[in-house]
Order: sequence, then structure tokens, then C-alpha cells
Amino acid sequence: MGKVRLTGAEIIWECLIRERVNVVFGYPGGAILPTYDALGKYSDKVHHVLTRHEQGATHMADGYARSSGKVGVAMATSGPGAANMVTGLATAMMDSIPIVCITGQVPRPAIGSDAFQEMDISGAVIPVTKHSYLVMEIENLARTIKEAFAIARSGRPGPVLVDIPKDLQAEEFDFIYPEEPILLPGANLVTSDIDSNSLEQAASLIAESKRPVILAGHGILLSGASSEVIELSEKGNIPLSWTLLGSGAVPASHHLNMGMMGMHGEFAANNAIQKADLLIACGMRFDDRVTGNTNTYSLESKKIHIEIDPSEINKNVPVDVALVGDLKSILTKLIPLLKEGQKSSWTDKIEDWRKESQSRDIINMNTEMLYGAQVISDIWKETNGDAIVVSDVGQHQMLEAQYYKHDEPNTLLTSGGLGTMGFSLPAAIGASFSNRDKDIWVIVGDGSIQMTITELATAVQENTNIKIAIINNGYLGMVRQWQQLFYDSRYTETPISSPDYVKLSEAYGMKGFRVKSRAEISDTMKEAQNIKGPVLIEFVVEQHDMVYPMVAAGADLDEMISRPVHEQFKDAEM
Amino acid sequence: MKQTLILFMQDEPGVLNRIASLVRRRNFNIDSIVAGRTEKNGITRMTLVVNEPNKAKRKTIYNNLKKLVDVYDVVDASNENCHIREHALVKVSIKPGDFKEIEDLVAKGNCRILDDEPDSMILELSGNEITVEKSISFLKKFKILELLRSGKMAMISGNQKKNKPVLVKSEPI
Ligand SMILES: Cc1ncc(C[n+]2csc(CCOP(=O)(O)OP(=O)(O)O)c2C)c(N)n1
Repeated sequence: MGKVRLTGAEIIWECLIRERVNVVFGYPGGAILPTYDALGKYSDKVHHVLTRHEQGATHMADGYARSSGKVGVAMATSGPGAANMVTGLATAMMDSIPIVCITGQVPRPAIGSDAFQEMDISGAVIPVTKHSYLVMEIENLARTIKEAFAIARSGRPGPVLVDIPKDLQAEEFDFIYPEEPILLPGANLVTSDIDSNSLEQAASLIAESKRPVILAGHGILLSGASSEVIELSEKGNIPLSWTLLGSGAVPASHHLNMGMMGMHGEFAANNAIQKADLLIACGMRFDDRVTGNTNTYSLESKKIHIEIDPSEINKNVPVDVALVGDLKSILTKLIPLLKEGQKSSWTDKIEDWRKESQSRDIINMNTEMLYGAQVISDIWKETNGDAIVVSDVGQHQMLEAQYYKHDEPNTLLTSGGLGTMGFSLPAAIGASFSNRDKDIWVIVGDGSIQMTITELATAVQENTNIKIAIINNGYLGMVRQWQQLFYDSRYTETPISSPDYVKLSEAYGMKGFRVKSRAEISDTMKEAQNIKGPVLIEFVVEQHDMVYPMVAAGADLDEMISRPVHEQFKDAEM
Repeated sequence: MKQTLILFMQDEPGVLNRIASLVRRRNFNIDSIVAGRTEKNGITRMTLVVNEPNKAKRKTIYNNLKKLVDVYDVVDASNENCHIREHALVKVSIKPGDFKEIEDLVAKGNCRILDDEPDSMILELSGNEITVEKSISFLKKFKILELLRSGKMAMISGNQKKNKPVLVKSEPI
């Protein structure tokens, strides 16, 4: 394309289209109006989803990015619109999700004057973005947008914000798209050549180990390294456990997969980590929710850390060998150096631990009340385990991680690092735009849904094919659980009321169901799945349920409160 | 032990904002920060001195600074033969008899008299941390009216390749 006279607003759309953006989630307002006005010219190429809140727009962009691997885009006006994006940016930052947020700013001459709806958003989001920009010259606009996308998706991905003054959107300019590559001062943290010394060291640690465990993190999904991790695990006969965001990185049904680690991790997984003599951490960052007390964390093990971000090495847990770079390419070099592992007493022992915890499971019991775990396990069965599940934050999130057995990468979308309540509904709407042929299920608590319930209207307006399962326990359940365990069951401000969700669905113009018993689950789900468009199902569940196993915050990882043996099983054991 | 880091960054609006934000967010314990222009157009150089005894944490600080998009490079000068200098301006209240002692300090070479009024004097101190520290404690016998320390500037001795920052831009991958 040669030189064309375009406005700043038109340049924004031209640049987005060149980044292969075909959907933008946003909300208009004064300072971004010129850009919305120009959208008319590009509406055959870009679909704009009108959200009901800018937080929703950021989570939609995030859900789109998580499920597609592409950069998600959100747009908002200055001041209050931009401020509403902060939660979504922080959520994406903590989970390394590539999104680009474009905000309008007050006109350049007004900047600094406390003009109507002025806020220094590019300054305010410094701690929660990979980078942020305020564009002050139109000749920098196209390059800046191109840079924003390059930064968002490169290395360890993350969110970028570009703030664009209103008068700049209206200014005309002889536009030539900057075809030359983006060059940045601090771009290449990661060297592509991994030193062979460390590779050999890692290989010999693996060869010497008797009780190795692989820790599978989100980096596997970001790097697309699932098959390499499976190969590593199978070749060395190394059992593995995953972090919340690593769910699906390795099939849940794989015989070496012990399940989730950490605070609500599986008994076998946490035990294995504590007793291991070698941990191979793949694209994970030893978050406090997975380590418990770091002073007693896996003390007997040597540790290999394979990670793209050098600032994660030795941050929480000291390691013996660090391999910094892209996981997939490192594993491709490491695996040939390894010898075949044998079935050992170690994997037998792990099998025993696993049986121990499975026998206590509530999903195999007949209970009078419905339990969250039963609902999620049944949703897993009804969807043949191949839905995209978007979970929110709380007990239901942990139950989802335990009972929905993900066999495919990128099929669980959840806010792990920030734990943002309200994430699931908008993120699912976003995901639907990259996965039109997949079933998408939202698993959400009665507290979390009410944080962003306003996006039901967006789902209806877009006729988004998502199914929303509200696990209604009448409480902010996870907080209630902590109150029960650590605050003498004083349930201060955790009982929470809900609207009548069936009527509410009708009011929004969508179908709603209520399920109170396990027997109704299957038929209701079938009915819901037959409807193309949003459907809500409220599951009324036991109010005082707990998520087990549990490691209290800061406790040793093997100091687990395990699933209690239910009355029915006590009888059976006798 | 103190960690002395020399940062080379793009001279962009907001870059100091980003460093300050990172320091706060990661809870680095900062001893001193100084930034200024350099021999290269468009490049700002900063000396950042951090109080961090833990070796692993020092590496984390280094890598976190390097992660910033506007930062070209970070050179860790802590274990290098390095000149660390500081300036201080001190306004002292003096009586006529005190002048002799100030003259002695000036004669030692690390102090200049910038301003000499009947009721007070402004002195410029310079040198490494210890010299400046010593001069200040010496001046405490007079009444210190105002004190301003510049923070530390570091420059590594010699022209070795390993201590040279990489000041080229590259493509994000
Ligand atoms: C925005 C936000 N506010 C507060 C919290 C703290 N918090 C964590 S879990 C939780 C309760 C969630 O309740 P609900 O959505 O009903 O799920 P449940 O635990 O009952 O399954 C709260 C309040 C949070 N994570 N995010």
C-alpha cells in the first residue's frame, strides 16, 4: 500500500486489521468517538462486540486470547472507561495473556489540566502491563500499535495498553504502514541458544534420579509444548502434576498424570512432590499457592527449572539447573539426551496414594443434597470431556480443576494468578469468538456471577453459544470455608442472596433452568445444549460443602487436610 | 551488601516512572538512584544502588530491570573495579571561630566553599561514599541547616568489553 491520507482513527483500524484482528470488545465514549465513528468504514472486516462494562471487554479479549493463542483487543474511552480496564489488565498480566487495550485520551492540549474524564491511564497501568504507551504524535501511531502487538505476543506474553488522544484520532496524516521489523531496546531477554552444559547437567540429574516429578505449568500451553512434555514423561517414566493454569497441558487421563498440585491439589501429587528427589519444573513459577511453605518445600529434591522468563529463576524456590528459553525448543534438545526410564517402586507408590484419595470421593456417593463436585463431574461426562470450560474464582473453580478432566490443551480458561471474581462470563463470551464449533461451559459461583452478570445482555445481543452453570451455595463459599477453618465458623458477610436466576434469564431474553437434584442434571444439560445461544442453569447445591484436600496458606505442602471419609463409606469399610 | 547497577535506557517520557514503579512493586530496598544524559543521544544512564544481601534476589532484581521494554541493558558493577562518587551540598551555621576548621576540611580536598555569608556557609562535598560520610559527620559539630546528597554515580574502570552495555535494538521474538 502506498501513501494514503487517513485520520488517526482510520490508521488505528488499518493497523488492527493488519494484525489480523477481526473482533474487538469495547465500549464507546467521548474520547474514543472518532475511532468508533471510523469503525463504520471497516465493519465488514472487524466485528465490534458492545460489552456492558469495560472490565467485561478486557476479560473478553483475555478469553479470546487464551482460547485462540491470538492477541485479544479491547477498546474504551478515557477516564472511567480506561479505569474499568485495570482489573482485566492485571488479570492478564498475572497469567501472561496477550491482550492490547486501546483507550481514548483527552485532546493533547488538555492533557494535564484535569479535563473532563482525564486520567493518566498509561501511567496508572505501569505495574499491571508489560508496557504502556501514550501516543503524542500521529507519525508514531502506526508504529506504536505494531509495537504493542509485538510486545504482547513475544517472549512471555502479556497485556499492553495504547492511549490515544482524541484530537490525534481526528488528525489527518499521509499514512504508510511501517513494514520494517519492530526494534526495541529491551526486546530480547531470551537467547535462542541454550548452553549445552546446562542441558547435559539436566540430563544427568534426570538419569540419576529415583523419584522424579514433572511440574507442568501454563508455559507448556503458551509454548505449545504438550507433546514434548508427554514425551519427556513417558520416556523417563516420570509422573507429573500440574498447576491450575497447566490444566490440560497433559491429558488428565494419562497414566502418569497425578492431577493438580498445591493448595487444593491431589494427595498423591503433593506427597510425590514432597518426597521427590528431582523436580522438573516446566513453564511454572512456584507460586505460593502451589508450594505452600517454601522453607519445607520438597527439601530432598534437586530442581531443574525450564522457564522463558529469567526473572522467575530462583525467585521463590532455589533451583539447581536453570534452562532459560522457549520450553518446546529446550525439551526438543533435552529429550534425545535421556535414557528410557523403567517402571519403578516410585510409580507404584504413587499409584497407592492415588487409590487412597479416590476411594473417598463424593461423586461416587448417593447424597440427599446435590454437591458442587457432582455437578461438575456430571458436566464433564455430559460434554464428553471436550468442552471449553471457563471457571470463575472460589470453591467451584477448585472443584472444576479436580473434577473436569481436561484432555486437551487450552480448554480450561480461568483467572489463576489474580483470582479475579467475575472473570468467567465475559471470558467465555470472548472465547466463543474463536471457537464457534466448540461447546463452551461457564462454571461460576453465585457470588462471582453477580460481579459481571451484566454481560448476560452482551451474550444475548451477540447470541453467544455459551452455557452458564451457576453453582449456587448461597455463600461466598471459598471465603466461608476459610471462616469455618480459621475463624471459628463466624460467617461474617459471606451469606449472599441471589436473584431468581430463571426469571432473570427470561428478563434478559434467554432460557434459564434450575436443577436441585442429581437426577435432573443429564436431561437439563441435553435440553440446554440443544439451544443455540446462551443458556443459564442454576444448580442449587449443599451450602456448607468444603473443598478438599486442602493445604492451609503457608503450611507445609504435605500437611494436607484430606477428604473426610463419608458415613456411607465408613459403613462399607466395616 | 550493596548492589550497584548501571542502567542504560531509552530517553522516553515516563521511563523513570517505570523504574520507580518496578522498585516499589518488587519491594527493592533502594539506597540511591541517579539518572542523567550520556555521551549518546537518546540514552539515559542510571546508577541504582540496592541494599540486597541475598544473591538470588540480586539476580532477580537485575533480570526484572532488564525486562523493561525501555531498558537497553543493565550492567552489574557490584563486583567490578568501579568508581562510585557522590556529591553533597551542606549549609552550616557558623560562628567566626569555626572558620579555621572548615579551612582544614577544604585543604584535604573533598570540600569546596560555594557560599560564604556571615551567618552560614554552603559547602560542596564530593568523593566516594566514605569520604562524603566522614565529611558530613565532621560537619555535624556545627549546626547543619540544610543537607542534600546527590546519590551515587558509578563508572567501571578500564575499557573491557564485558562491562560494556549492549545498546542495540532488537526484534521481539
Ligand atoms: C474481585 C474479587 N473480590 C473478592 C475476592 C475474594 N474471594 C475469593 S473466592 C470468593 C468467594 C467466591 O464465591 P462464589 O463465586 O459464590 O464461589 P464459591 O466459592 O461459593 O464456589 C471471594 C469473595 C476475589 N477473589 N475477587
